[in-house]
Amino acid sequence: MTQITLENLGKNFGSFTALAGMNLTIADGEFVALLGPSGCGKSTTMNMVAGMLQPSTGSISFDGRDMGNVPMARRGVGFVFQNYAIFTHMTVRENLAYGPKAQGMGSAEVTKRVEEIASLLQLGSMLDRRSGGLSVNILQRLAIGRSAIVEPAIFLLDEPLSNVDAAFRAVMRTELKQLQRQFKQTMVYVTHDQLEAMTMADRIAVMDHGKLLQVGTPLEVYNNPADTFVARFIGSPGMNLIDGEISKSDKITMVDLKQFGSFGPVPDAVLGKLKSSDGKVIFGFRPEMVELDSNGSLKMPVNFVERIGARTLLHLGDPDDNIKITVSNHEPVPKQGELAQFTIPPKAARYFDPQTGNVLRGEA
Amino acid sequence: MASISFKNVSKRFGDNLALDNVSFEVKDNAFFCLFGPPLCGKSTILKIILGLIDPDEGEVLIDGRSVAGVAPAQRNIAMVFQNLALFPHMSAEQNVRFPLAERGVDPLEISNRVAEVAEKLNITHILSKPPSQLSGGERQRVAIARALVRDPNAYLMDDPISALDARLREQTRVELRRIQQELGKTLVYVTHDQEEAMSVADTMAIMEDGNIRQTGTPVDLYDSPNSTYVAKMLGSPAMNILPLDFAGKGKPISFSGNTPKTAISIGIRPEDLEIKLAKSSNGASVVNVEPLGGFTTLMLDTGGKQLLATLRGQTKIQTGDHVAIMVNPERAHFFDKSGAAAQAAG
Repeated sequence: MTQITLENLGKNFGSFTALAGMNLTIADGEFVALLGPSGCGKSTTMNMVAGMLQPSTGSISFDGRDMGNVPMARRGVGFVFQNYAIFTHMTVRENLAYGPKAQGMGSAEVTKRVEEIASLLQLGSMLDRRSGGLSVNILQRLAIGRSAIVEPAIFLLDEPLSNVDAAFRAVMRTELKQLQRQFKQTMVYVTHDQLEAMTMADRIAVMDHGKLLQVGTPLEVYNNPADTFVARFIGSPGMNLIDGEISKSDKITMVDLKQFGSFGPVPDAVLGKLKSSDGKVIFGFRPEMVELDSNGSLKMPVNFVERIGARTLLHLGDPDDNIKITVSNHEPVPKQGELAQFTIPPKAARYFDPQTGNVLRGEA
Repeated sequence: MASISFKNVSKRFGDNLALDNVSFEVKDNAFFCLFGPPLCGKSTILKIILGLIDPDEGEVLIDGRSVAGVAPAQRNIAMVFQNLALFPHMSAEQNVRFPLAERGVDPLEISNRVAEVAEKLNITHILSKPPSQLSGGERQRVAIARALVRDPNAYLMDDPISALDARLREQTRVELRRIQQELGKTLVYVTHDQEEAMSVADTMAIMEDGNIRQTGTPVDLYDSPNSTYVAKMLGSPAMNILPLDFAGKGKPISFSGNTPKTAISIGIRPEDLEIKLAKSSNGASVVNVEPLGGFTTLMLDTGGKQLLATLRGQTKIQTGDHVAIMVNPERAHFFDKSGAAAQAAG
């Protein structure tokens, strides 16, 4: 139960900058996901918060107290890794009891805590099994339990679900969120999986190439991405981005999308922010926001149809364009080789600067 | 090109019945997907097709001919493993050449064949690189090229993309499907990811405990599961299955339609629940709202039973709100005491 403040945090490994100028305040009891592709600096950030790495620049403070000289063991931080570090020669119970015992807790209290956490994580039936023979799924659950049992003020998790199977991952997302609600620790969660970040986090910090690009609630980063990277990284599939050109006629200003049609009117606020005089923009829309409509102003050839349970994913344009739209499985859809014609609600259109990738207007 | 069929195949390992009288047919050129939880028998089927293990009972036919006693090398079936098993010290090209070089094929012919396969898989430009310099998706394609280079009758893949991250998995599965369509070869594919299975397969077989529970197209299995087991295996979140007395007039789930006589439970997929805000509390209340941008998952409580609903887009509905739940009778599934789909009356 601690507020974490990162100020101008940076880390260099030799000439390589792993992280630069990171400013982020994580509130007491907040669940923040550090989201980005491998090499974006998310794990480096977390390792510095834990005290395993020393920052090259900037500072980390917990509740206003600078952590610069505080060793890892005194930071009150619980850590769960991708590869669960479980003592395989011990039983589940012994693994869970290890932390509280090391803290000098009385044995009656330890027993009680172990039972509680085991029941919370559905490990109750296997307390006396040796950890060595357990499945990957159970081991990861045990790793989370072993860190949670000492009730750290700050709980750090680094890709804890990336080795478990898809079905179990869905279960664990719900459980982790419940665990955090119950204990109200400050939780920092590192992941490359946007779905994990969207489902669990109070706020998501999207990172790339050692930089923090945007911080916001899941819906903020989904609805109003700050740049094309965030737009593409958030969402499954991510936002569609197409090169376009502003074309002005007498009254309305449209964005010309070449063979795919055109869309407009382009809001004045966007036009006002256009820097380049050539009128080039990147036009963005989310796959789910599309309505199939035989009078729609946008049309693209269907090159692949993927029906996945509740939704049908249409892959449009040339395979290289990789434009996708998602519709309900009950909706009739055009076939491979046919033309998909559709509209996008004006509120769902996004425009980005082709040079910087930055958004030209955030929709409120 | 080959069809593969299993006729009443059983296999026992000690006390464990790994395959229990399994029959299925993989048509020539099909993308056939075996889907089920760990240890359900998927990998045993692959090993039997390859000839690495023999069935205790039953018959395996490839192109209509029994393969009993036919050695693995003579079956001409290629395998792509989960961990790809590329040789790290060899370039991509050397990896692809390997199966032919090992058989002493003429080097010129190998080069032609490698060039042909590389072009099909769009890896010509990366052939000189070692696996360590390739992306996950590229390594995947190199592994497939190596499997295809000796022109097998069919190829088998055991969970080949589970190690990739989520985004890359979504791209790679589409690519696999495209490659299979272009190559026109029989592919037997094992996965434990339901979304991946539905995305790639022409036909899928859903397995449990050494048995095949249902076979069909992904759409058939999703829309008409023959049991609660199959119903729950496909779809995320999974189908809501509730005692029948939760649905009907004046019940938590408003439903008007015929129910089969033998039905004891009703199944409704989360996306098929119609949710409206209600003033009174006799319907259901919202326990949790999970906004995911493109859709929203609601957890609803109907007096003791919880169910999940998926709404398209974003919603104003909040935790604590009362809602009315409706279901279109055409979208309802019914199951009997044994968990089997109950047939509609009359």
